[in-house]
Amino acid sequence: MPTQTGSKGLKRLFIGNPIATSEDHHQRISKKVALPVFASDAISSTAYATEEILIVFLSLGAVGMAAYSMLVPISLIVVALLIIVVMSYRQTIFAYPSGGGSYVVSKENLGEYPGLVAGGSLLIDYVLTVCVSVAGGTAAIISAFNGLAPHRVQICVGFVLLMMLANLRGLKESAMLFAPPTYIYIVSLITLIVVGLYRVFVQHLPPIEHTGEAEHLLKMQGSVTIFYFLKAFSSGAVALTGVEAVSNGVPAFKKPESKNASTTLIWMAVILGSCFFGLSVLAQHLEPVKDHEGIIPNTVLAQLAEQVYGGRNIFFFITQFATFAILILAANTAYADFPRLMSIIAKDNYLPRQFMNRGDRLVFSNGVIFLSVASIALLIAFGGLINALIPLYAVGVFTGFTLSQAGMCVHHYKHREKSWKLHIAINGIGSVTTMFVAGIVVTVKFVDGAWIPAVLIPTLMIGFKGVHRHYTRVRSFLTPTEGYQAPFKTHTVVVLVGSVNQGVLQAVRYAQSLRPDKLIALSVIEQSDDRARLQEQWDKFGLSIELDTIVSEYRDLTEPILNRINEIDNMYNDDLITVIIPEFVTSIRSQWLHNQSALAIKARLLFRPNTVVTSVPIVIP
Amino acid sequence: MGIKDVFKSASKPVREIDSERLVDRFAELRLQPLSELEARDRTKVCGEVKRMTIKPRSGIPSTEIVINDGTGDATVIFSGRRHVAGIEHGHCIVIEGVAFADANRLVFLNPAYSLLPMGEG
Repeated sequence: MPTQTGSKGLKRLFIGNPIATSEDHHQRISKKVALPVFASDAISSTAYATEEILIVFLSLGAVGMAAYSMLVPISLIVVALLIIVVMSYRQTIFAYPSGGGSYVVSKENLGEYPGLVAGGSLLIDYVLTVCVSVAGGTAAIISAFNGLAPHRVQICVGFVLLMMLANLRGLKESAMLFAPPTYIYIVSLITLIVVGLYRVFVQHLPPIEHTGEAEHLLKMQGSVTIFYFLKAFSSGAVALTGVEAVSNGVPAFKKPESKNASTTLIWMAVILGSCFFGLSVLAQHLEPVKDHEGIIPNTVLAQLAEQVYGGRNIFFFITQFATFAILILAANTAYADFPRLMSIIAKDNYLPRQFMNRGDRLVFSNGVIFLSVASIALLIAFGGLINALIPLYAVGVFTGFTLSQAGMCVHHYKHREKSWKLHIAINGIGSVTTMFVAGIVVTVKFVDGAWIPAVLIPTLMIGFKGVHRHYTRVRSFLTPTEGYQAPFKTHTVVVLVGSVNQGVLQAVRYAQSLRPDKLIALSVIEQSDDRARLQEQWDKFGLSIELDTIVSEYRDLTEPILNRINEIDNMYNDDLITVIIPEFVTSIRSQWLHNQSALAIKARLLFRPNTVVTSVPIVIP
Repeated sequence: MGIKDVFKSASKPVREIDSERLVDRFAELRLQPLSELEARDRTKVCGEVKRMTIKPRSGIPSTEIVINDGTGDATVIFSGRRHVAGIEHGHCIVIEGVAFADANRLVFLNPAYSLLPMGEG
């Protein structure tokens, strides 16, 4: 068996051996495994949601101590929102047992444009999931090892690259990988909350003592305006991101799929809601501080853990690493969903077909690479800081929620199953609430970055439509009408000749075997002596086809050839010109020494209608 | 505008430069410009050999050349000959005879020709 060489071998080394299509099987997973697989994205947002609320109040709003009294009310609103959204999605799970992403639901029920808006916002959202989660994971590492702070962006980019590689190898939904970090995180978070609350309320643990920038922020005396309240709320609402993951993955559950999926969804909501609320209560009493520029290196979670566990001990580090691990897993969820969504959209002809292709390892490689490049670009542009990315984030999520719920309303109305009115009510409330939230997010954070998705989503839609128009046009152009027969065309073959050599002789023989209507050899010469020499050779080898020579007064090769081909083309009305180019094929090391002009001619003829370009290779070992 | 148009517009200048060069060269001769050539008129034209085609058709070979004087071009066929004395790329010749129309070109069949000295007008 020949061994793989060159770039192919390198690819094998990193990506692994290819997998046959028939070996693709979807493993069904139990609820215990499904929870970490689908919920890591949602639950991981507890790692930064509380912090984002505090940043808005302390750093942007400069309200000082008043911030802590606002934490619990805001988290209660977010939890209420969570309940509404989860109730809505529970219905989606039952209505779409085959997996009902926002794109599918809105496209099926609301039509093309809403579907595309949902698709576009979800795509943007997945990119941001990667960015925010990786930035969050990096922040957790930096909190544990403050010395790494100057390398924040590099660490983020490194993790994205690692994840890209891992996903190109294909590790989607691998339960063994997902389960431990998610459960460790949940356990460590609950421990932190329980121990923390015990120490606060029973042992009367004092708030964290601050110095420097943090102390300065706490001394601010601003008042809580409705604007900052809404802004903080929309930051906290990012806790809801990733809730839709379960409804996308219903087919992966063990039977009965819908029932198991909905149970998992409820578990997830309970864990997410209680952890988020618990953290907010704890933060209210321990008063951690965070600013929006990353001057304070420790995350809120790290500050809480340090205070509760009384220093940087083993429990502190476990919490930090678990946070890091779950955030990386959350980013990985986007790696599973983004390429899949892209392939679904590509299948509907709204994205280039390349995103439909699965690579060697049965993953949508192009989507994976695209996601990585986009996330790296965003991470670099925003310096790897979560709170700079957060305003961009929530817009897409809530747009997706809104459209998906609205689509569900239409679905219920169409099908009118048992107690459909109640279902419409639930989804209707979900839709209206999330739309309201999306509106709030765009309004209060427009200047901070919410304008980016607000501009990007319509742009993406125009792009989708453009791609679709093109594919439709091509298809309608290519589809043969009833009784269509390919027309006969006058066939002219032009063999390009430099000098008489084996390659040319083979090319002429090949051209003769095509039996064209007209066959000429064409040579561009520089001086008149060259013609005589060529003609002599031509006669010597007994070549019986006519030899055209053109002199190139300006030493250019391609231009005279193209002019001559145009002339030949003008002689007949409907003709097909085959241009035959003899080419030498040598090894990869010396190939660049040959065929440079042939390459130029080919490039120029590529867009010429009714022109076939054929290379007749002669292999030189 | 397609890529082809870009190529076309880019190819124009070189052609124009060449046309101007040839017009300058033949100006003194005051012969009929090829652009005004019509079929079935006895005429005298001149031009530079731009293309040569040797047709080795079994039995009756022929040499076909295309001349250009900067205003247009014409085809000259010398039948039965694989080689015509003095006819070579870049040479300038004066053709005297009657052209006939063949497809979309004007052809002189075995006309009288005279060579112009190289490097002069």
